[in-house]
Amino acid sequence: MIPIIDISVWPVVKVFIIIAFGLYIAFALVVVRQVQLMTDTLEVGFEGPLRFLAIMHLLFAISVLIFALIIL
Amino acid sequence: MRAFTEPVGSMNWRSGPEGVFEFWSFFSYNQARMADIFVGEKLKDKKTPKSDTKLSKHQGSEMVSEAANVSEKFEPDIEKDIKKAEKTTSREHLPGHTHNPLSSYDYFPDNIDFEIRDREEKIVLFLRKHPITNVKWILITVLFILAPFLLGSFPILDFLPSNFQFIAVLGWYLITTAFILENFLSWYFNVYIVTDERIIDIDFHNLLYKEVSDANIDKIQDVTYKMGGVARTFFNYGDVEIQTASEVPNFEFAAVPYPDKVAKILQELRIEEEQEKLEGRVR
Repeated sequence: MIPIIDISVWPVVKVFIIIAFGLYIAFALVVVRQVQLMTDTLEVGFEGPLRFLAIMHLLFAISVLIFALIIL
Repeated sequence: MRAFTEPVGSMNWRSGPEGVFEFWSFFSYNQARMADIFVGEKLKDKKTPKSDTKLSKHQGSEMVSEAANVSEKFEPDIEKDIKKAEKTTSREHLPGHTHNPLSSYDYFPDNIDFEIRDREEKIVLFLRKHPITNVKWILITVLFILAPFLLGSFPILDFLPSNFQFIAVLGWYLITTAFILENFLSWYFNVYIVTDERIIDIDFHNLLYKEVSDANIDKIQDVTYKMGGVARTFFNYGDVEIQTASEVPNFEFAAVPYPDKVAKILQELRIEEEQEKLEGRVR
């Protein structure tokens, strides 16, 4: 019997993965903003490394999304 | 430092009651030391014990008395300490004073500031949860990091094409990073500050929610501290509950180091505030 609709599942999975990584980038942006607000609220002398950590996390999330777009 | 870097089994303890005394002396001394290591406390005038493997009875008793001195030196005296803290050089020698930004206990800190601080307000105590409370999530993180390698031998992801498998592993490490950030930032920004005028509780939950509440020292009605359990007794940390007559009725300084000292400092600040009121020195 010949299937009526022949749709591969992997493009659909790819779309879901891209959406998930997009949402993760939004979360990473919130973290950057929240760290900025918290370091303004409380200064302990460790603000530089914390902001760097949050920005690195955001860059990691963006690079994973780009990588997923390329290889999937 | 020999403490906790060398297994106890490698020490040459003498047999009999003298050996037991030597072991107990060494253990008591190291327990006092260990609390200092985790809290980041700076006590410059303490001497490190000699690294001889054999300890005489005399050395043992010296260590016990030194350990007793550590806790004696650590007794806060607000009236004197406020005067000392006015000078930067003498502030350096205050017990519990540190410049470590990851410290959980900082007495009269000089590199800490917060948004709602008054110009003349002096920070007496800066607290956050004891570092040992982070062990649980650090162990979970190690498992998270190792999981792709450990599960590599099981065909869990084999039904996926190889490129999807690779992205799945990257996604896993993204989640791990979020887990580390969430836990570290929650610990780092959940702080308690005691100033000469008020107590401030800064809460930071789930990376999205923050709450800052404060109460004046003269509004404090009751201070209770609780220590219980093996870890809390061993590492000397516990909860300090403060009941106030302000809008926020209860403050809880959770899992802070030296809860007894914190309670004493709060008590002394209340007395100081009462005296200020009587003398009409209220700001």
